[in-house]
Amino acid sequence: MNNNPLSPHIQIYNWHISSLVSISNRITGVINILTLSLICFWVWMLLLGNESYESIFNFLNSIFGKFFIIGFVWSYSFQILSEIRHWFWDLGYGFELKTSKISGILVILGSIIMTIIIYSLRGFLI
Amino acid sequence: MLNATKKWLSLKLSSVIMVPFMIWFLVNFVSIYDSNYENIVEFFSSSQSALIFSIFIIITFFHSALSISEIFEDYIGSEKTRKFANMMVYLSSFIIPTITLLTLYKL
Repeated sequence: MNNNPLSPHIQIYNWHISSLVSISNRITGVINILTLSLICFWVWMLLLGNESYESIFNFLNSIFGKFFIIGFVWSYSFQILSEIRHWFWDLGYGFELKTSKISGILVILGSIIMTIIIYSLRGFLI
Repeated sequence: MLNATKKWLSLKLSSVIMVPFMIWFLVNFVSIYDSNYENIVEFFSSSQSALIFSIFIIITFFHSALSISEIFEDYIGSEKTRKFANMMVYLSSFIIPTITLLTLYKL
């Protein structure tokens, strides 16, 4: 018999900014690693040559491809800002309810702004 | 040091290392993803990009494997299932970056 205590499932909680950001952090973390696995697969496909790459090229240049990339950038941006929020907690700052709510809102809004900035920078930096 | 403490420290340390690499990857990835085959191969063939991308995927897969095992700890009750799920995550976090590094070396 296993006695490991489990976390209560998310549907029993009332929704707050903190819980929303917390569960989104976990969900985006899983999505990010799945997406990074796809990107590794994309790199493997390069070995097969130009002709095999054509279908991936067509997908990435389609409207779905661009939607996928923007979603990917948002998910990573969210993860980055959420990690930074956790660093402050680890250093002992930002636990007060009001501060935690504000930092949660900053993560959500910041991830959208960061996505726009990063996508707008394409082609300028390299 | 307790195993849980080691795991927590590994998570925090990998998080601090990972974030700058994530930003580097995002900025570069949005600039090349829709380029033609030659440009993308040229990007990954450059020793600087290949090195930074290699560090990025190693550290990110490492961090993610630890984070996902925390999720399993919270939500999977059966120890047998949890061990199997953890093993699959750790295995894929080793295999995927390894094949990718070999691919970068071959490009």
